[in-house]
Order: sequence, then C-alpha cells, then structure tokens
Amino acid sequence: MSHPVLKDAPGASVCMLGNHAIVRGALEAGLQFFSCYPGTPSSEVGDLLAQISKPAGVLFEYSINEKVAVEVAFAASLTGARSMCSMKHLGLNYAGDPISTMPYVGVEGGMVVVSAGDPSAITSPNEQDQRHFSRFLYYPVFDPATPADAYRMTRYAFEFSEKTRLPVIMRPTTRVCHTSGMVEYGPLSETRNEIRFTKNPPRYVPIPVNARRMRRELIDRFALAEELLGRSDFFPRHGSGTMGVIGSGVGYAYASEILNELGLFDRVSLLQIGAYPIPETILSEFLASVESVLVVEELTPYVEEIVSLNAFRHGRSIPVYGKNSGHFPVEFEYDPDMVEDAIRKFLQLEPRTVVEVALPELPPRPPVLCSGCPHRTSFYLARKVFGKNTVYVNDIGCYTLGYGEPLHSCDVLLCMGSSISQASGIARTTGKRTVAYIGDSTFFHSGLPPLANAVQANDDITVVILNNYITAMTGFQPSFSAWDSQYPDSSNNGQKDRGIVLLDAVKGLGVKEVFSVDPFDEAQTLDAFKKAKSGKGVNVVICNSPCAVHRVRVEPDGNRAPYIIDQDKCNACSLCVRVLGCPGIVVEDGVYFIDASMCDGCDLCAYVCNRDAIHQVEVREHA
Amino acid sequence: MHDNPKNGDFLLRILLAGTGGQGVITAARLLSEYFVRKGDQVLSAQLHGMAQRGGAVQSTVCVNSGISPALPRGGADVVLGCEPVEAARALPYVSADTIVFVNTAPIVPFVLSQNYVLESGPSEYPGLHALEKSLRAATLRVFPLDATKIAQDAGSLKTLNVVMLGCLFGSGVVPYPSQDFIDTIMVLAPPNLAETNTAAFKMGVEFAESLNVVEQVS
Ligand code: SF4
Ligand code: SF4
Repeated sequence: MSHPVLKDAPGASVCMLGNHAIVRGALEAGLQFFSCYPGTPSSEVGDLLAQISKPAGVLFEYSINEKVAVEVAFAASLTGARSMCSMKHLGLNYAGDPISTMPYVGVEGGMVVVSAGDPSAITSPNEQDQRHFSRFLYYPVFDPATPADAYRMTRYAFEFSEKTRLPVIMRPTTRVCHTSGMVEYGPLSETRNEIRFTKNPPRYVPIPVNARRMRRELIDRFALAEELLGRSDFFPRHGSGTMGVIGSGVGYAYASEILNELGLFDRVSLLQIGAYPIPETILSEFLASVESVLVVEELTPYVEEIVSLNAFRHGRSIPVYGKNSGHFPVEFEYDPDMVEDAIRKFLQLEPRTVVEVALPELPPRPPVLCSGCPHRTSFYLARKVFGKNTVYVNDIGCYTLGYGEPLHSCDVLLCMGSSISQASGIARTTGKRTVAYIGDSTFFHSGLPPLANAVQANDDITVVILNNYITAMTGFQPSFSAWDSQYPDSSNNGQKDRGIVLLDAVKGLGVKEVFSVDPFDEAQTLDAFKKAKSGKGVNVVICNSPCAVHRVRVEPDGNRAPYIIDQDKCNACSLCVRVLGCPGIVVEDGVYFIDASMCDGCDLCAYVCNRDAIHQVEVREHA
Repeated sequence: MHDNPKNGDFLLRILLAGTGGQGVITAARLLSEYFVRKGDQVLSAQLHGMAQRGGAVQSTVCVNSGISPALPRGGADVVLGCEPVEAARALPYVSADTIVFVNTAPIVPFVLSQNYVLESGPSEYPGLHALEKSLRAATLRVFPLDATKIAQDAGSLKTLNVVMLGCLFGSGVVPYPSQDFIDTIMVLAPPNLAETNTAAFKMGVEFAESLNVVEQVS
C-alpha cells in the first residue's frame, strides 16, 4: 500500500504532521532532489522522504552533514532540479558557508532549505531565530503558523524560488513540526523540471569580479521577492478594529484563537506575517489603519523592530508593543496563556482569572541512557582507567547523557564535532591527556577535520568513538559507519565488519595508535584504554556495539535474556546503582532487583558486582 | 464536550498523559484518525523529548477547535492519565468541567528508585492519595481505575492506552457510538493485537459506562 502522502486525491482532507505537510507541499510542487541531516525537530521531513522517495521519483540522501546536504541540493538545483534539504536550526549554522554565497549565485530549479527552530531549547543547546537570515543573507524566509501553512508555503516556495532565483528558507518551529493538523490536498505535480546543465562560468562562479555583479543583481532579486510576496496570501488580515495585533509563527495561531474565543475581532485587527521580507506596503497599510500595535512572535523582536521602522518611515507615530515593551519575555516559547495575558493588557481588559490548585511536588523523568546502551559500558570502563581527574569532553548525541550522576562523563560540551577540538585545546594548555567522546554519526559529520588537526598538532588526546552504527538520538537514521543500511541496493558494500569504514578513516588521517573493541568485551576494552592512557599523542579507541534499541528492532534474535539479582548474595551495597544508572535496576525498600521487562541483558551490572550476585536468567520468557 | 459556537459542531479537547512506552502517542494517532474519518477537524500536538524511554509524554487531540496547537490553562475537556504522577502533571489544563480518568498504577521514575540526589523535586514518589486530592480540588469529575490490571486482564499490558480510550468513549462525551472506534482499531492497530485491543477497549468502555460520568456531574 502506498503511503497516504503520495495519494493523488485533490481536495482530500488529511490530518498530518507539520513536517509531513512540508513533504506533501514539496511533492505537489514536483520535488526532484532531497538531502538532509537529521535533527530534532526537523527529522520527520527526511524520515518520510526516505520511505517514499523511490515511488515519488525523488533522488534522496541522508547527507553526512548539513553543509554537504545544502551543497548537493544546491548543485542539483543548478542542473534544473527542484530541490529541498532539511535540518534543525543549528544545522543551518553549520552550512553557513555555502548558505552565504548561494543567493549570490542563485538557483535554477527552485530550492527550499527547511531549517526547523527549537524555541525553549527543548532538544538543543540553544534557541535561535533563523528569520534573521532574511536580512542577514538575503533569504526569503517562510514562517508557518500551522501544518496547513507549512504545506501551502512549501508548495508555493519552489516556483517563487525560480522566479527570484533565490534559495528560500522554510522555518517551522517545534509546535508546527510536531503538530498534526488538517491539510487539504491539491493535485500532485505531473511535470518535472528538465535536467540540464549549461556551462556558463560567469553565472556559476562567484570569483570577485562576478561576485560584485551578483551582489547588485541580488538586491534587485530580493526586491522582486518582496513584490511577489506582496501578492501572496501569506499575510491575511482578520477583524475590523483599530487595535492592531501582528502575529508570526505559532504566536499568530495563539493570538487568532484567543481573539476568536474572546470575541474581540470588532475591536482588533489581526495581521499574520507568514514570510520575510515583509512587503512594505502590506505593513504600512495595516499600520495606517490602527492606533496601536501588539506584536506576537517568539525568539527575538524581529517583526517588532521592522514594524517600528516601517511606522517611522511612513510618519506613523503609534505605540508598538511586544518584547521590548515587556508585554512578552524575550526568551523561550510562548503559550496561549501568555498571549492572552498580553492581549488583555494591550486592550486594558480585566486580567484572566486563574484558579491555583496546590500540587504535591512531582518527580522529574529526565532522559537516561537506555538499559543495555553500549555507551554506558564504554563510559564506565573508560572512567575506571582514566579516573575522575581526567577531563571528559563530550559531543552531541545520546552519549551526552553521560552528563552528571552517575557516569560523570561529560565535563565540557559545545556543538557537533567539537569534542575533539576542545580536547585538543584543553590538553595543549593543561599538558594533561584529555578524553573526547564522539559518536559515529557525529564523527563523520564534523569530527574528521578536528582529528586531522589534532594529529598535526600531536595533541595528547584519546578520542573514544562510540560506534553504535546508527544516528540514534534523532530517531535511528542510518550512519555512514553502517554503509550497507544507508545504501541497501548499492553493490560496493558487502563488508561484514561495518566498523571497518571508521577504522580505515581514522588510520587514514594518520592516527598511529588505534584500537577497535567491543565494549562488552570488558577485558579487551580495559586493555585498550590502558594502552591509550599511557600512549603519546593522539590515539583512538573505537567502541563498536549496536544501539540497544535499534538492535532489537532489526535483529530477530536481538533480544538477550535478562539478568536477575540473587537476593542471597546481594548485600545491598548499592555499587551497581551508584556507578551505572541503568534504569533496569530497581530499588524498593532497600531491596535491589532487576525489572526483567526493562533489562536488556547487557551483562554490565553483573560485571560490576563484587559479590557475584547478578546472573543471566537461563531461558528468556517470551512475552 | 460542548457546542462549538463557530460552526455548530461539537468541540472536544483531549489531553493524553503518560510516560514513554505507554502508547500515548499511538493513542493520540488512533483518536485523530478516528475523528478525521468521522469528518471532524482535528489538531493533535505531541510533546516528546529525546528518543530514550521513560520520559513524560503529553499529547493533545483537539476536535473542531481551532488552530492553536497548545491548550490554555484549564483547557482540557478530558484528561486520560495513564500514570498517576503524569495525570497530576496535567493539572494546569484541568478546570472544574474537566473529566479526568487516571490509572492508579504508578511507574516510579528511576531517579527515585535509584535514590539519586536531585537538584529539585521530591525524594519519594508522591502518595496516590495526595495526587488524587489535588486533582479533585480542581474538578469533581476524577475517576481512578487500575487500567494496568485491566490491560493485563485483557491480555497485554500494551493495551493500557486503549483501555484509557475506552474510558473516553464510555464516558459519553464522544457523540458517536463506541463500536465505530473498534472498526478504527481493526484497520489501524497491528493485526496481532486486534483482539486484545478490542477486549481492552470494551473493558474501558464498560468501566466508564458504569460510572454514568456525564449524568453524575451535570
Ligand atoms: S537509543 Fe541507543 S544509543 Fe541512544 S541511549 Fe538508547 S541504546 Fe543508547
Ligand atoms: S544486565 Fe544489568 S546493566 Fe545490563 S541492562 Fe540488565 S540490568 Fe541493566
């Protein structure tokens, strides 16, 4: 059965995830090429395309990183293909270099860069406002409020991109990406752009002499973008009042629903900002019709400041409220209550009545490495050898959860691939061997250059590559270290030991001392760590063991029999709990036992136990 | 459920709460698909963190509501709490009119069961009585049940989410016959679980029907 997103059913009303709505919009526009690097909250865009690219006739790749994703998609566009790539907000920074010059060169086939935002830093080390790329680098940026917006904006964006020759950014935030809403299907495109590359170096090569010409053209093309957006329906206006509310993104959705529920549309006019650059006339006409404005937007006072500027330029001296006025906080996501409070304040209405109910303190449920996760074993064994005074630099992935109690394996963290370079910096100034942890996917993403750099500088660092053959944290996308799962049909694989790709890469960069181990072979792994600790310069320990969750999904015999604690031998010393933090171990009224439904049978607690109290159950009961 | 002044349809905002692995997101998906098939407008938001198991999960399913993906304070018509602490975490969305079904079987967070020193939060799992009391202070319509046991009786712990959905239908707030939903389960849920799911759903319906939820409170 083909996937519902591929259904050729114009007029059908479908409830779809915001990220899937983007895919539908792109398919209706005749998408031909897609690339991505996964990152929450963008990942479902690529994951859906991975499933349907073949029947949809879309060339697809999970790229090695976002810079590459953007570059291949841009080049595909230069051959005429309608192309799209997706990533999270930080991925767009990583692709900052190509992103900066692409508008100069300009596209042939329409190109959409999906860069999902994460206000409140729910799954990211920061929150940032990609709308600034619009003024910063001349990008039209689309700012959907709902899945339906995401769909219609994406469908529109390709042709728009071709007319202006500008690549465009689609910026949904978590509350759009991960919300399912109604989308009304249009027809799937029956035609595809013709693929042809015509040599024309002055057009495609931004050497300074061409770049300066492109710079001038860019200003004109951006002006055209503003003009076209002025004729689009991404700036709808509701209500007839003289109090102006301007909303963007999910802030618009909240404001619209609240004004509707409170029946305020006779007092208020609501304008949605669905894209940037905001057409000057749409804004000035709106401002001419209201006495005062409240701007509802997350992250930075981006629209707010454009509104102030526009009012000033057009001689409208009206108050503009928003973040700068204290109606909204500068940081983090908004919620409906916050927006209602601000609207009430703006309209001088009674404050909302709030009934407070006392609640006992609720325990948190912080994310934790899964039971049986190979990273836990690697962390535990490395710490056993390198001790508590060594600095452990960590990286972005599940293994970030080595942070804090009880593994203490994340003293420093910054961004994708930074563990190796940061370990270099720390080792060079302190003169002490420093440990860097990095996963396989992140290593190929951005760990190769810093490793080459460390080799060149002969830094005293030990790089531990936690190879679980998958990009686990973002939802189990393939990793380059598992070559054959990314290209199941390709003929150039057949390597049984897939970790070989990683090993060759590390050796190829000139690392002399490389150990490739299975972390669940504790003796072998400890031995490797000991040698690495007493080594000179850069050495690398590759810990190969599949992600526990993924293993049981793909291997029919992936289930390992659980362990049990022999109550006659256990003296409740609490060691296993103090050093491992495996959620499979439960303590109740001072009694230690293993929850068989949670235990992955990894053997680590049995290895750790001094009293030989933990053993594997002989036969696994099948639930 | 109440009338939606905008289009004459009914309006229903459901909040499903639980921990990772309890099937909250799947239940929200089943429910969304069901209402869409009925011709209603559905908006469903999932709040999920990282891929790891065991975290708190909240999903909303709003039928014929509007375009806001998040509920305002007191904005849930029904809360389906698959776990006591997680039902209590949904308290901000509970008003005097909210119907709350809460599974009484706790899942103790491992940070408590392993005696972690936490920067914040309690050192023990809160008492069930205290949790129920806070919910009752917000609404009189709190209906506790041992849904975990019901699911086990139905044949699989995995059907816990469907037991809770049964409560929703049995409470009388959905203006369609509950048999319709069984058809949806048959189509959308994994075939090997179809029978247990149906049994679990019916047990949830029976439980809620026996309470006479709607009459009891109005
Ligand atoms: S998803 Fe895989 S890699 Fe991530 S914590 Fe779980 S077992 Fe470890
Ligand atoms: S064997 Fe021990 S450490 Fe490994 S998953 Fe089971 S309980 Fe956890």
